[in-house]
Amino acid sequence: MRSIPRLVGARLALLLPLLALVTLVVFALAANSPFDPLLARLGSRAFSMSGSELEALRMAQGEPSVLAQWATWWSDALRGDLGVSLSLRQEVTQVIAERLPWTLLLMAVALVLAVGSGLVLGTLAAVRSGGWLDRVVTGTAYVVQASPVFWVALLGMWLFAIVLGWVPAGGLTDPGSDVVTLGALVRHLALPAVVLGLSQAPWFVLVVRDTVREELGAPYVLGAWGRGVSTPRVVVRHALRSGLLPMVTVLGVRVPELVTGAVLVETIFSWPGIASATVTAATSVDFGLLAALTVVTTVVVVLGNLAADVAYRLLDPRVGAAHE
Amino acid sequence: MTRRPVLEVRDLGARLPRRDGGHHLVLHGVSFSVAPGEVLAVVGESGAGKTMTLTALLGLLPARAEVRGEAVLHPPGSGSEPVSLLGLSERDRRRLRGRGIAHLPQGAATALTPVRTVGSQLRETARALGHGRASAERVVRAALARFGAEEELLGRYPHQLSGGQLQRFANAAALMGDPCLVLADEPTAGLDEDRAATTAAELRRQADEGRAVLVVTHDLRLAEDLADRVAVLYAGHTVETGPSARVLGHPRHPYTAALLAALPRHGLRPLAGEPPQAVGHVHGGCPFADRCPLFVDRCRAELPALRPAPGSDGDHRTACHRAEALAAGPATSRPTGIPATVVAPPAGGGTC
Amino acid sequence: MSEASTLAWRPAHQRPPLLVRARERVGRSRTAIAVSLVVLAVLLPAAVLVPWLDPTAATHADITAVYSPPSAEHVLGTDGAGRDLLVRTLAALRTSFLVGLVAAAVATLIGVTVGALAAATVSWGRGAVDQLLMRLVDAVNAVPHLVLGVVIVAMLGPSVSSVITSIALTHWTTPARLVRAEMLSVQGRDFVDVAIVGGASRWRVTMRHVLPQVASRALLAAVLMVPHAIWHESALSFLGLGMPPHLPSLGAMIQDAQVAVFAGHWWPAFWPGLALVVVTLAVSGAAALLRPRERAL
Repeated sequence: MRSIPRLVGARLALLLPLLALVTLVVFALAANSPFDPLLARLGSRAFSMSGSELEALRMAQGEPSVLAQWATWWSDALRGDLGVSLSLRQEVTQVIAERLPWTLLLMAVALVLAVGSGLVLGTLAAVRSGGWLDRVVTGTAYVVQASPVFWVALLGMWLFAIVLGWVPAGGLTDPGSDVVTLGALVRHLALPAVVLGLSQAPWFVLVVRDTVREELGAPYVLGAWGRGVSTPRVVVRHALRSGLLPMVTVLGVRVPELVTGAVLVETIFSWPGIASATVTAATSVDFGLLAALTVVTTVVVVLGNLAADVAYRLLDPRVGAAHE
Repeated sequence: MTRRPVLEVRDLGARLPRRDGGHHLVLHGVSFSVAPGEVLAVVGESGAGKTMTLTALLGLLPARAEVRGEAVLHPPGSGSEPVSLLGLSERDRRRLRGRGIAHLPQGAATALTPVRTVGSQLRETARALGHGRASAERVVRAALARFGAEEELLGRYPHQLSGGQLQRFANAAALMGDPCLVLADEPTAGLDEDRAATTAAELRRQADEGRAVLVVTHDLRLAEDLADRVAVLYAGHTVETGPSARVLGHPRHPYTAALLAALPRHGLRPLAGEPPQAVGHVHGGCPFADRCPLFVDRCRAELPALRPAPGSDGDHRTACHRAEALAAGPATSRPTGIPATVVAPPAGGGTC
Repeated sequence: MSEASTLAWRPAHQRPPLLVRARERVGRSRTAIAVSLVVLAVLLPAAVLVPWLDPTAATHADITAVYSPPSAEHVLGTDGAGRDLLVRTLAALRTSFLVGLVAAAVATLIGVTVGALAAATVSWGRGAVDQLLMRLVDAVNAVPHLVLGVVIVAMLGPSVSSVITSIALTHWTTPARLVRAEMLSVQGRDFVDVAIVGGASRWRVTMRHVLPQVASRALLAAVLMVPHAIWHESALSFLGLGMPPHLPSLGAMIQDAQVAVFAGHWWPAFWPGLALVVVTLAVSGAAALLRPRERAL
């Protein structure tokens, strides 16, 4: 257990170089872009300048190299200045501060739904291997896994919002209301979270099913069963408990997919998170916002991975012991 | 006086369905019995059906397997009904597990779940046996004391314990319910001398406390040292049973003799050939016919039945047409071309 | 119990206990692979041929039949401009499939090159090149691939080539890791040293022994990547960042269908998505043929 702080420290130490490399890639891409980097750097100040002023500035500053631009961006960022978003007409830091919590909320609820359904359905399918329940669960999982999340989202919207009218079709608040009430939030969150969770659930269902099936063949399961422990208890407290570990690993791998799904789900349901802002930024080539959001989403992914690895160490008594 | 056996197995057969519609015969006809206070060793090469017999007794055969014959558990003590172990309902079997029958699986140390503390698993076992919270603690403590497992280690995980410690906890867990029948699967496999001796001593103690102990093993030395009686299996058949001193001292089946001859201290003369891949050999006779040095034509044609061995009372039985020849000694038993050493019973006792 | 009845064969279990059932091996379905191949064999030629046979069918707009539900005349219905959905879906499928194929090939090419380079230089100066390349792999993997994909398309401007670039630059890491691992494991094996001691040049050993192994793995990775590539392209097109408007795309069709959904019409959104699902399942299922006898997932 003593190894956990060391693990966290090591990962965080790697984070900064990683972000440096990622942003370098983004800047390098921008250099190949047909769009004007000067405009991107000037941000909203560009609107107040005349054409000749821009030309003069361009001549004076020359075309800074990719590395120079990158360095400038970082020196600004580390001082807290992430620039201005042209498309959203706000400071980038403000964009992030306002939108990030909503994305995190959506992702968290979706993850809970995905993991929960994975544990329940995966265990049931494993225990009734080969039966009709197993076939239905596994088959559905493969089909859902192959389905684009934006397609599922639209169909879900059609069924639950348009036809049945159970939930609103998008947004965060009820029309005409500026205040976010808990009831309204739940109703607006329901469909996007379920869709996003559904899109990630198959991986959890399949991995739990596979590992529980494998653990059920282990000698200690036979041992517990032979001692008179009831079958449900053996399945949950022995097989599933041992099978939680691979699932946590999958969780780490799924975080980037979760963000990708969030990009699509937030867009469709007009959910005001940073993922939908990424799309807006891309469509209007809002460079400052794009660079910052790339960094933010990368940080989310790295932290998510870290959380999964910490959870793994906490759950597996053997791994902790190896370091003692 | 013989007490009534706790476990009686008669002509136990098992077969598994094959994908092409046929059957794969894994046990042809296995017969033996175990009395209270007695250790029975079931011996044979791998593939002989020893573990499969245990699997059948425990009700763990594959879902579409079929059985024949009888396996009856007679719980000692008056007023208890005999229980047929084949085709038992899940509810009834659940009542037996841990209480009537204890299973010590191969590599008993792996019988405990790695991700939970040994203490939580022992308590869980006590609760599964029907104890309430308070009495469960007492039962666990009592079991620990009986098996010499250290109480202060209860909070540890299995991988944090030494092999010996883990073994003691595993025994405590498996035998907590005071069963009348103990089924041990290869209890000394892979263990060093000391651990093997401790394990054997523990099994002996279980028998001395009145339980019926069945040990499946390929280790003839263990059978000699520990077992009161022996049953020898070959290719899913019982070929010889009886008191261990008799069977292993004066074998009345060529296979038993060959097994003994293959022991290092008897000269390390391994038996030629291989055990049949599938039980259900082509001809309808003795399964050992193709490797037997005493083979005659009758052996191929007619399956020998388990009958009393020549020169003994009913307790020592053998399934061999040539048992008399074997008993008579090397000179009259050897067909041409077969070295005398394979045929002669090992030194250490004259004819019975 | 009579002798006869105990000697008769009877089932071992009245009802097999849960644990026995759970421990049974569940066989891999041969039929799934066969079905996948059949689906592909039908769908792909249809997707290729139909638009070729009648180029204008996909864009032929019948204003009188806007948003008509599936019927005998329009088997899958029509979209908001009265265009037949069956033909449009097949045309879009062709585009998506071609783009996916090319992009997967490019991604695999990049990945194989990087992976081979990394493995080959692992012994040069403490493997600095290898380490650098692996850090690059980590960096690319750390960014959610649609975010990176979106950034790339935004930077390069919407076009077919930028979509392909976007897919390639986000998906090359898997074959890279695969090839590197495979090459390292083969390189480390004894027979390589034996061959070199025997006089063969390292280059020759690599070509004759390492390459075939790596090639089969790379091929499998490439095939499995096609559904991902198609998905990525559809997602980009859905967001309006993908294929140019004149090229039919499944993602763009679904984007257009949003309006239809709000109006209560499900079919313009349903069929393109279903096509994506079917193609993904079919390609993955067929890829099982290429897979050495391992477990799925």
